[in-house]
Amino acid sequence: MNAPAGIRELSYAEALREAMAIAMERDPAVILMGEDIGVYGGAFQVTGDLIDRFGPDRVMDTPIAELGGAGVAVGAALTGLKPIYEFQFSDFATLAMEQIVNQAAKLRYMLGGEAAVPVVFRMPAGSGTGAAAQHSQSLEAWFGHVPGLKVVQPATPEDAKGLLLAALADPDPVLIFEHKLLYKLRGPVPEGYYTTPIGQAVIRRPGRDLTIVASAIMVHRALEAAEALAVEGVEVEVIDLRSVRPIDRDTILGSVRRTGRLLVVHEAVKTLGIGAEISAMVAESDAFDCLDAPILRLGGAEAPIPYNPELERAAVPQTPGILAAARALVRQEV
Amino acid sequence: MPVEVIMPKVDMDMERGTLAAWHAVEGARVEKGAPLFDIETDKAAMEVESPATGRLHHLAARPGDRVPVGTTLAWLYADGEPLAAAPDAPPSPAGAAGPEVGTADVAAGISVGTPGASPATTADPSRDGADAGPGPGSAPLPTALQPVVPASSAPPGATRGHAASPHGVAPLRATPAARSLARQHGLALGGIAGTGPRGRIQRADVDGLAATRAAMPPAFARQYGPLAVTRRAGTGRPLVLLHGFAADSFGWLALERMLPADRPLIRIDLPCHGASPRRAVTGFPDLARQLVEAFDDATRDLPADLPVHLLGHSLGGALALAIADIRPRRVASVTLLAPAGLGPEMDADVLAGIARATRIESLAPWLRCLTATPEGTSDDLVRAAMAARRDPALRMAQSAMADVLFPDGVQAFDLRPALGRLTAPAQILWGRADRILPWRHALAADGETAIHLLSGTGHLPQLECPDRVARLIVRLLAAAEGSRPAP
Repeated sequence: MNAPAGIRELSYAEALREAMAIAMERDPAVILMGEDIGVYGGAFQVTGDLIDRFGPDRVMDTPIAELGGAGVAVGAALTGLKPIYEFQFSDFATLAMEQIVNQAAKLRYMLGGEAAVPVVFRMPAGSGTGAAAQHSQSLEAWFGHVPGLKVVQPATPEDAKGLLLAALADPDPVLIFEHKLLYKLRGPVPEGYYTTPIGQAVIRRPGRDLTIVASAIMVHRALEAAEALAVEGVEVEVIDLRSVRPIDRDTILGSVRRTGRLLVVHEAVKTLGIGAEISAMVAESDAFDCLDAPILRLGGAEAPIPYNPELERAAVPQTPGILAAARALVRQEV
Repeated sequence: MPVEVIMPKVDMDMERGTLAAWHAVEGARVEKGAPLFDIETDKAAMEVESPATGRLHHLAARPGDRVPVGTTLAWLYADGEPLAAAPDAPPSPAGAAGPEVGTADVAAGISVGTPGASPATTADPSRDGADAGPGPGSAPLPTALQPVVPASSAPPGATRGHAASPHGVAPLRATPAARSLARQHGLALGGIAGTGPRGRIQRADVDGLAATRAAMPPAFARQYGPLAVTRRAGTGRPLVLLHGFAADSFGWLALERMLPADRPLIRIDLPCHGASPRRAVTGFPDLARQLVEAFDDATRDLPADLPVHLLGHSLGGALALAIADIRPRRVASVTLLAPAGLGPEMDADVLAGIARATRIESLAPWLRCLTATPEGTSDDLVRAAMAARRDPALRMAQSAMADVLFPDGVQAFDLRPALGRLTAPAQILWGRADRILPWRHALAADGETAIHLLSGTGHLPQLECPDRVARLIVRLLAAAEGSRPAP
């Protein structure tokens, strides 16, 4: 990271907006597309006033037709632009699977490397907003399963800006999953242009007793649990996954080699999820020999996200659950 | 009709026995009354005679198999009797007890039909053309030879220790980290207490042990090869000398000078003692088996009709009884000096103290407990004993052996049944002032066994009053050989 000296506090949404503004200033090929991102400023006010600064030719409201919008974005990327297409809710990317999975991910390979699709899809994701089953999913693992796509999940304002700028600098399609509950999270963000490398996890808190690999909002819940366990004399290492594809094998395995215990926490449904991939990665590696307890995973329940706020909370990992699982691991109760 | 060979019940409370070795191979012809196989029970080891004359077939147990009393081990076919068809299933629980078979390789050179294989097709060179082949004309096996104890009915207790057990014995639980750490340190996980869920062995459990080990002298490296045997040439029947725990064959010197000079002597050093290899000893039956092997090797060249005399001191006395029990035809007389194995009591502190001592200052006080008076243990003796114990690996090996043979300071083996079965002329010599093993244990002897209680004598009669011991030995040897002692 080549962060300049000036650092202020911004919200996650502001950091994303700043990243888009910097990119548009640096490169006239960068355009924004999406539903209600112009005059309205975006469903979550991430694009905000960018239409005023860059005009409707570069900040384009598109119809409520995700397949069409994504298709235009992929086509624009193929022909030299660098579009950022915002899905109002990442759930609606299901309508655009053809363009993302069959076109954007494949064209470089199918055209012998002569074509590139430098498109960025912004994916507001996750539960906790009372938006129920069709507006609260965490589908990052779906896209992480597709070779040709890159998938990132920033957990902090600094990484939101850095990863969005890295996504724009990447010659291939990148999906950036933004947890909706994080948009208002404030944190230090360096001024100016910088990128956060795609494919690199980061250790948010070092510890020797247990590794927790978490993504997006779960990073913050894991850090809360680690804080509570520190009082009990337990040192938890918290890894912010940041990048689902490519995944940072070295950081995770290195940590497990040191701690011998692994807990993976993500909001997406546990079954067949990223936690399973990480667990298998450890089990297949030499770090297996360092395991001193079974690997545990926490993930979303086997149900669509409910509307009822209590049930909605219960459907995804919360801090007390992470604390209990971590405690059970270090106390050798599992 | 073939004759069944079964695991015999040799003790009232015997439920299972371990087949130690076969004396004949599949298809071999054996005589009624000839030694057919060796067994070990919880209490003793012994030789079992063939119940009939015939050819041995359908061997269903391998050395090391532990089977219930009454289990069919093999069948004996009379000359000319056609070999029956193979049973459909393993004919004995030996198959079920498969996981327990750990010592099947011990009896090298003994070929055993694999349970479940087809014994009927086993090559039988002795068979003539008349009954060739298990064809349509050959008689079927008696129905009794169908699985005597079906594999599924073998009690779960019949197996132990192996994860592959089909009988649901819990496998050893250990985390990958604990396993790799144990591998690094060369530690066996089996002996480590796990503190994890359901007794799972954790990294910290191995760490603790590894640290303890690191603080101790290096563990003794297991050695292989035969036990050390030294001989004194002479004429007539040899006297086989078996020393006690923490001693060696040099301890017989004082006594040897008092014995007739032409008496051939065969001295055997116990495992982990003297010049013998530091072998792991898993228990008294294992130790006895090692000694029987050494005894067989040492007396192999003697004529079959020339049984030998046994003299054993302390633990060596228990081993002399075990040898006499399993090789009764090879033993002419037995002299036991303060033998172990005739009762549970013992002074474990002295034993542990001697096994542990690393210098003369710590060894001498314990050695002086061995004799009736402290003066009975000379400074020369202490120096010689310490010289023999200078090797830390030897001390570790002996400590490990003591731990197995005398857990919690108790004699964990009982030779009283063997003493009761003794047929050779025997005598027990015991010091009345023996602190280590109480002379009252001699009262386990019955009938024809002579008991000589030596006053003013401790645990080392061969050193404290070698003249008296020698006199009694010469007398018994002469009586056993049916001649008058030399004047």
